[in-house]
Amino acid sequence: MQLRIHTPEVRRSRRLLTVVGAVLATSLALAGCTATTTSKSATKAPLTIGVSLSLTGDFSDSGKAAQRGYALWVSETNKAGGVLGRKVELKVVDDASSPDQVVTNYTNLITQSKVNIVMGPFSSLLTVPASRVASRYHYSFIEPAGGGPAVFAQKLTNLFFVQPAPTTSGGDVFADYILSLPKSKRPKTAAYAKLDDPFAAPIAANIQKRFEAAGIKTVYDQTYPAETADMTPIVAGIAAANPDVVVGGTQEGDAFAQMKAMIQQKFNPKWLFEANGANSPGDFPAAVGTSNTNGVFSSADWYADSQVAGSKAFIAAYLAKYGGTVQQIDPTSAEAYSAGMLLQEVAKKTGKVDNATIIKTLHSGTWPTLVGNLSWDQYGAPKGAYLLIQWIDNTLTTVYPASKAQAKPIAPKPNWAG
Amino acid sequence: MKRAISRFGLLRVVIFFGLLILVPILGGPVWLLNMLIFTVMYAALSSSWNLLGGLAGYPSLGHVAFFGIGAYAFAIMFQGSVGDGFSPFLALPVVGVAVALLSVPIGWVSMRTRADVFAIVTITFLFITQTLAFNLNSLTGGAQGKSVAPPPFDVSTYDWPFYYAMLALLAVAMGISFYFSRSKIGLSLATVRADEDKAHGVGVRVTAVKLIAFAVSSGMVAMVGCVWAYYVGFIYPQFAVDPLITIGMVLMAFLGGRGTLWGPVLGSFILVPAQEFFAQTFGASELYLLAYAAVFLVIMLFLPRGILPSISDRLRRRRLAAEGDARDAAQLSEVQDASKSPVTSEVAR
Amino acid sequence: MHALIQAIILGILTGGVYALMASGQTLIFGIMKVVNLAQGALVVLGAYLTYTLFTTLGIDPFVSILITTPLLFLVGIGLQWALLRPLHGEDVAQLSLLVTFAIALAIEGALSFAYGATLTNVQPTYANYSWTVFGYQISLVRFVAFLLSIVMLGVLYFILQRTKFGRSVRATVQNPMSAQLLGVNANRVSALGFGLGAATAAAAGSVFGMLNSFNPGSHYDLISRLLTIVVLGGLGSIGGSVVAALIMGVASSLVSALASPIWSDFTFFIVLLLVLLLRPRGLFGAKTRGAL
Repeated sequence: MQLRIHTPEVRRSRRLLTVVGAVLATSLALAGCTATTTSKSATKAPLTIGVSLSLTGDFSDSGKAAQRGYALWVSETNKAGGVLGRKVELKVVDDASSPDQVVTNYTNLITQSKVNIVMGPFSSLLTVPASRVASRYHYSFIEPAGGGPAVFAQKLTNLFFVQPAPTTSGGDVFADYILSLPKSKRPKTAAYAKLDDPFAAPIAANIQKRFEAAGIKTVYDQTYPAETADMTPIVAGIAAANPDVVVGGTQEGDAFAQMKAMIQQKFNPKWLFEANGANSPGDFPAAVGTSNTNGVFSSADWYADSQVAGSKAFIAAYLAKYGGTVQQIDPTSAEAYSAGMLLQEVAKKTGKVDNATIIKTLHSGTWPTLVGNLSWDQYGAPKGAYLLIQWIDNTLTTVYPASKAQAKPIAPKPNWAG
Repeated sequence: MKRAISRFGLLRVVIFFGLLILVPILGGPVWLLNMLIFTVMYAALSSSWNLLGGLAGYPSLGHVAFFGIGAYAFAIMFQGSVGDGFSPFLALPVVGVAVALLSVPIGWVSMRTRADVFAIVTITFLFITQTLAFNLNSLTGGAQGKSVAPPPFDVSTYDWPFYYAMLALLAVAMGISFYFSRSKIGLSLATVRADEDKAHGVGVRVTAVKLIAFAVSSGMVAMVGCVWAYYVGFIYPQFAVDPLITIGMVLMAFLGGRGTLWGPVLGSFILVPAQEFFAQTFGASELYLLAYAAVFLVIMLFLPRGILPSISDRLRRRRLAAEGDARDAAQLSEVQDASKSPVTSEVAR
Repeated sequence: MHALIQAIILGILTGGVYALMASGQTLIFGIMKVVNLAQGALVVLGAYLTYTLFTTLGIDPFVSILITTPLLFLVGIGLQWALLRPLHGEDVAQLSLLVTFAIALAIEGALSFAYGATLTNVQPTYANYSWTVFGYQISLVRFVAFLLSIVMLGVLYFILQRTKFGRSVRATVQNPMSAQLLGVNANRVSALGFGLGAATAAAAGSVFGMLNSFNPGSHYDLISRLLTIVVLGGLGSIGGSVVAALIMGVASSLVSALASPIWSDFTFFIVLLLVLLLRPRGLFGAKTRGAL
């Protein structure tokens, strides 16, 4: 799944509060922590992993989901004897969704707490400044949630994004599916509604490029600002253009608003793809009504019914530790958990867990995780693809690529139930 | 009122800046330096805001727009390369002057209105700037954000240049504030603040002094924005044009004492570390926002004039009580005059 | 042409709801000369109250207005009494502005604490129902919300025109000094006025929660829109704010339908700046203030 940044209505953050490094209190916390890292006992010293996460502020829901993923991996790993016999200690600090704070936090984790390893925060916007600090100190940077173009444009060689593909390629699999149809059955016209957000608009733009090259005519193309709460005018414009396929380059809230407006205006495209929002098994049916979910496409890397090896065990451990239902598990948790899995795999393969080894080792080979088998280019962009998922009988189902599909895609989309 | 800087005043400046300059040299840890960078940044922002909001009585709520403009100007100039890392700092005065000039027409439009509406217009200006940062994709990178090339500084002293740059900007902002207070501009601003119509009536060139304050204040804020962008390395419309940065400037000036030289500095050195404390103590429960609002309200309700003016009032009253009664009447009226324009009185002491 | 008319219809319906929110804000300004930066947060608070009543007790969002409105009326009175009345000194206007901002932050903080940052909305069964009239889409919720806003504005008008309190308000708006000389209790009028403003926010909030996804941070967007409306309409003029809300609704709806949604808010800010440049009192500032 792509980053869900919740930008739409959450735009103005409350960073100010924390603007300046968590320093004062962090330093207090650090005082206690340095003691543990410096006192090397006869037994193996613990492996300390430092992470800054948005536990408050705009990205806090996802930040907490990432925290659950990291923490679950740590507890499962320690149960199984740790990494190379070393107990894993996780140190999480809050960045309140602020770039200033994230710089502060990683600087402190590395220079004060002297953690052995650092891993990524939530969102590309924070991953860029964070990865620079890590790179400055020659730390490896396995990160589960920063897949925007700005992250890879930095050309850092210590960075590894733990999702199947760069976030902006999230919709490519939908284009693959549509273009795999025989020409007569393909859509003739397409409409694009894009949220002006680093992780939303480019997804639709990439699909658009492929569609236009294949001769699917663009009849509507609109970018809207993140504050747009009311999608009615946009959907009215789309409905007037009456396209066969609608591609929403969306985050969560605006995806729901788009579909609600379509339902209101009784507009039924034959294919409907929403980059985000529709891949949220809990929130989506609640927002648009369960009966309206059928036939909607989205893409994902991990979701509750994922068939990937290890997924079942992850779900069981997650529910045992945190409770709730399987549908409520945020993919971000699985992505963070996967970041930990990578570390363990490197350790198993090389017998070492230092930063130089991690960087060198991950640059070759393919690495199994909950979000698929991963491999990266030199700047940490993953080389795989997402899964195309569709709501069939009120359930998220993988429908493409065929090798991983649980069912055939439904087209045209059933009409809105109202 | 126009006394030269007192020995005490000079001593205060020397000790304050001396200590801060020594922190990295004496081996202050990275975390401390990092916190000081942001603390000094807010002190500089708040002092700059104070030139307009405190001295002239025009409470701009949109000053972060200039901060963002500075940040973007800097990022656009140095997205590809920063050379040896030090030369970009030479661009600061250029950006400062350019933004100051740019701000003149904006100031002219917005200062046609008085306090309340002025605040609203400046908020509007803030949102315009944010919208432009989002929409002018090819220039600003829009929602993709914009990176500044990383400087080739040595890891061990990486934070030093940013720290000293912020410190220099604070010194400039305080210097301007001090200069204003001792010059005719300060006097004119104080009369504008007390009663603009009357000021106009007695021949103060109201529009000119207001525009000077607006432009200087905006230019300073823009330069701070440059250093911030350089330090953080990646900017994004919401990060660079964040209403809460404005509120930070305002609040710190209010806490320490609007219109005073040291008030905004004091406010920053209290609030920035305090914010940290709240964020860390109440952070995970989201209660920190409530704690913050509570501090805000306490300041407004119980310290509406800020810490420094309240203290100096009390001191003065005590001194008066101790003195003889012969000259009381005369002095009392002088003190009352002075307290009406704490700007001049406090700074000149 | 079809798209144009559809956009105008939408704009008017949306503008009606904004008119309700803005009328409360401009009323508060008229009485107290305070720009209430918490109005947006009060709307969001109203939306959350409606959400809770709907999800826990199953109370229809429109019906819940009967509960939320009086509740926020009392909250408004309490806020004015506890936080705004004690302010004094020469900078009252500035202080009040910042205090209302602090109130907004506090409400946001409390809501974040209670509900988290996730977007949510109020989804009654009829939320997505719409009529087709001559080929134009009219959503049920939007239409009822518009009617409701008209009714609420009517009630507000009645209160201001026909009650003793209303007369005190109008007197205060026109001339606070002489109103006080004539025996109007300024504190009482201010408290009731702030309460009324909050009450309109509650009513608008219930509707807002059905029309939009929201979270505790939504108030920043709301307040920036409301501020432009009230300035455009002329601070203190309820009639002006209604007209300005409709203009804004239609203008932003037109710009997003015909040009690009990216620029819709922007166009509006530009209009606002032009108005201030040519007529700093707003569209109706001077004229209608007396006729409030």
